[in-house]
Amino acid sequence: MAYRKDDGNKEPVCLFSEEHVRLIKDQYKDWFDKSLREEDRQTEGKYFTHSGIPVKLAYTPADIENVSYIEDIGFPGHAPYLRGVYPNMYRGRLFTVRQLAGLGAPEDCNERVCYLLDHGATGVNILFDMPTIRGYNSDDPEAEGNVGACGAAVDSVWDMDAFFKDIDLGTVSTSIVTHLPSTSLVIPGMYFAVAEKRGTPLSKVAGTCQNDFIMETCVGSGYEILPPSVSFRMQCDTVEWICKNVPRFNPISFNGYNLREAGTDAVAEVAIGISNAIATAEELIKRGMKFDDFAPRMSFFWDLHNDFFEEIAKCRASRKVWYKVAKERFGAQNAKSMLMRFHVQTAGVTLPATEPLNNIARSAIQGLAAVLGGCQSLHIDSFDEAYSAPTEEAALVSLRTQQIIQTETGVCSTVDPLAGSYYVEYLTDQMVQRIFDYISKIEGLGGLVQAVESGWLHREIVSYNNKYQEKIENGQMKIVGVNYMKTDNSKTAPIQVFEYPETYSRQKAKLERLRKERNDRNVEEALSILRQKCHTTENLYPYCLDAVRNLATLGEIEELFREEFGLWSFPLL
Amino acid sequence: MDRKIKVVMAKLGLDIHWRGVYLVSQFMKEAGMDVVYLGNKFPTEIVEAAIEEDADVVGLSSLSGNHLALGPIVVDMLREKGLDRVKVFMGGVMPPDHAKRLEKEYGVQKVFLPDTPMQEIIDGINAAVGNTH
Amino acid sequence: MKIEKKELVDELIERSLKGEKLSISRLISLVERRDEYAPYIMEKIAPHAGRAYYIGVTGPPGAGKSTTVDRLIGMFCKNNLSVGVIAVDPSSPFSGGSLLGDRVRMNVKSEKMDVFIRSMSSGRVMGGLARTSKEAARILDACGKQIIIIETVGVGQSELDIAEATDTVLVILTPESGDSIQIMKAGLMEIADIFVVNKADRPGAEDISTSIRGMLKRSLRKRDWDPQIFLTSASVSKGMDDLYAGIWSHYDHLTENLRLEERRKRQLRQELHTRIENEFAKILWDMVQKKDIDQVVLDTWLRRADPQNTAQQFVLSSLKESGLWPQKQ
Repeated sequence: MAYRKDDGNKEPVCLFSEEHVRLIKDQYKDWFDKSLREEDRQTEGKYFTHSGIPVKLAYTPADIENVSYIEDIGFPGHAPYLRGVYPNMYRGRLFTVRQLAGLGAPEDCNERVCYLLDHGATGVNILFDMPTIRGYNSDDPEAEGNVGACGAAVDSVWDMDAFFKDIDLGTVSTSIVTHLPSTSLVIPGMYFAVAEKRGTPLSKVAGTCQNDFIMETCVGSGYEILPPSVSFRMQCDTVEWICKNVPRFNPISFNGYNLREAGTDAVAEVAIGISNAIATAEELIKRGMKFDDFAPRMSFFWDLHNDFFEEIAKCRASRKVWYKVAKERFGAQNAKSMLMRFHVQTAGVTLPATEPLNNIARSAIQGLAAVLGGCQSLHIDSFDEAYSAPTEEAALVSLRTQQIIQTETGVCSTVDPLAGSYYVEYLTDQMVQRIFDYISKIEGLGGLVQAVESGWLHREIVSYNNKYQEKIENGQMKIVGVNYMKTDNSKTAPIQVFEYPETYSRQKAKLERLRKERNDRNVEEALSILRQKCHTTENLYPYCLDAVRNLATLGEIEELFREEFGLWSFPLL
Repeated sequence: MDRKIKVVMAKLGLDIHWRGVYLVSQFMKEAGMDVVYLGNKFPTEIVEAAIEEDADVVGLSSLSGNHLALGPIVVDMLREKGLDRVKVFMGGVMPPDHAKRLEKEYGVQKVFLPDTPMQEIIDGINAAVGNTH
Repeated sequence: MKIEKKELVDELIERSLKGEKLSISRLISLVERRDEYAPYIMEKIAPHAGRAYYIGVTGPPGAGKSTTVDRLIGMFCKNNLSVGVIAVDPSSPFSGGSLLGDRVRMNVKSEKMDVFIRSMSSGRVMGGLARTSKEAARILDACGKQIIIIETVGVGQSELDIAEATDTVLVILTPESGDSIQIMKAGLMEIADIFVVNKADRPGAEDISTSIRGMLKRSLRKRDWDPQIFLTSASVSKGMDDLYAGIWSHYDHLTENLRLEERRKRQLRQELHTRIENEFAKILWDMVQKKDIDQVVLDTWLRRADPQNTAQQFVLSSLKESGLWPQKQ
């Protein structure tokens, strides 16, 4: 699908009159030739944004001469939603402050979550430890050494219950950061099962799960990976079931973030996220749903990197691209289907281990860009990112940074304050075009699932990383304190790290008790039905939920998937 | 004679971050080493591969917190099998004092933390292996 | 010094023949890097080799060779057979280094499985892939592995080499492997005893097997074995039982009427031929006076002479000068 500048016969009304633009062009040339020294003029053509868009010394209305306010920019909360998804934006509702919570056993996390909620956080992010992310129980041999590290260990409904002890699931908004579609079939189900047990109706349960097959097949190497087509089917199963049964829960967050962290630029990040949304929409329509039934529940997740203006332009552009896809390609009727709502996390990959306190400054600037870009929720990375999951002190600094942006800087008082900046509008327009081009490229490869199966996306990631590394090593890309302005004192500060060595034994004991107390016949029956359903085209969600309710463990269900669907390795080598 | 350094590279256990270890592997290749990439493997499989490949070096990548739990097991198992000459290098995200402990207490030749230039890794390996050749 | 090393090598050989992994591994390294003791090692090993069944696996990149080999390893082991695998990957023509990834897909999780996997870069191989991988395979054979699998990427010469080194050749393709012309061009038609169309759950699997069948029919080559075609999805172990049985039926075919012996003799003849040629060249080269080859290059360049004629003249005059050529009065 190609991006067309003018999509109708009518002449768009541009921001500046032709005559005005002509005058500016003439004078610009004059200015450029006469006011600048030769060496200044020589620098033109040598500056680029992070994703490779050429950057001029100065921008003027001539650089956005074809841009029409009504058509291309529009009012906040109006098509094409470039300026934001709501007319009143942050005056109406501030972005949700989501900070990471998840370390050790669920009981430890509960403490952290309550701590953050008490300090004004309005949503919860649950991160999981590696065994949980990859679908193993804490006492599986594969889990050794990872239980409770960098996230919470969740093996069964019991753990989910413990995690949310004393927290009302009907009022809190929870982002369940599952990575893989196969675990998104199970872990949010545990959350729903807890809500059911506590008498909270599913209609009141709000939150998001990540559920992205790119996470399973491209971003993570994984010990054992399900094939892309299977992972994609599971992704769609979850979206379909949750849309029909848990109306306030976002069943998918198209994850540009981790892809970007793994190595792509801003254009690819958004284009791949949207390509996945396109593929998902097509699959669900094939299953008989209407675009407007599920599109309002789709959310996106972007990574805000260092290139300040490009990142802001990316946020603005991504909303417009999604609007056009929803409207023109899928014929969306409901305005909510055309709104791209996204969560932002600042870029962990930009936070070096050297002089870690500098990372507070980096993250604050990235967070500011996210807010200027109009995000719906924000997570600011902690300065100790390069060492471990954050300490309490570091987590609090991140939370405070968000609050400072919200209340002290004044940036939330007006909507999209950078609109009309020649540079920002130019970049936004460039991003829109480049994102569409990239989406077309993926479609040319036969769609996203194909692009993954063939290893194309992996090669993209590798080639990006090679270039990135080269730029760092040859100094073209400067990182303060690492390869620039480095002093002998540029040291890694001693950082205290949270350790929960007892998590393993606690989880192990809990699993032993669970296996003793649960009704084995029920578990076996639920699992055997699920096993059967794997080989049908039926939606797997209700069968997973049933297994979970009967206290089947995450590891058991995932092992079943691995047995039934086989394993896949990406074709990189 | 034609004597290239042979390296067995692995992601430790369940860790998912593949791009760093792949990038380093590529640099090693460009530096003329033979790199056997294992993907995600656990200590037993890693040591078995080191034996079968007659590796000079085992490189372990860990970014998800299993470095202290699994790294030392690899070193110990290599010793048990009589492969003292195989140097174990690690890379990834971990607190600096963990890195020091791995080097001082657990017999890891060297831990490369984030921000390490590629050439430093290559030089480190060349220096360590050159001594035993 | 020398004696000491010989003793060391002898000990390595002795331990290897008992099946000790560490020693086998070192032995392969010595042979691989053309150690001065390599010929000695092969001499000592030779009488013990020749008992294993050699299987070659080749096909285009991404066809699923390693995954197929992984599944076959599991099946052989289940039937109490020990397996040795030589997995060959190309190396960088620039640095000479390599990044060998076949083990990513090979998972030997059980200690009960008697398996030895060795990765090899084609760049390390002097005198052709066939030589070193064959020698490494022979070592594994002599050291007690009953099944030897040699896996190479089929992108050039290597798949022809593999045919000269193994008893049964599996050519693995996928529905995406392209049209039949490409398969033919790659020389894969000639060497395959068994075709595997992997990833057969994808569209086009039937098409490709039909076109292979057609090509086999049209082929004028006389065969005593009709190559079989199997559809598999190795990643989910589909079709693997049939493939496994198919491999054994080719083995049975070979063991009838001394066909295996004939095939191996034919290979031996080919190998000896190549080696004798190489030896001749090497010895003669050492005997003749070494001329300054740079001078010859420059001369040929300046005269715009034809390389073929120059080479011929070069050899003749070298032989004459060394007195190896009967000189006419």
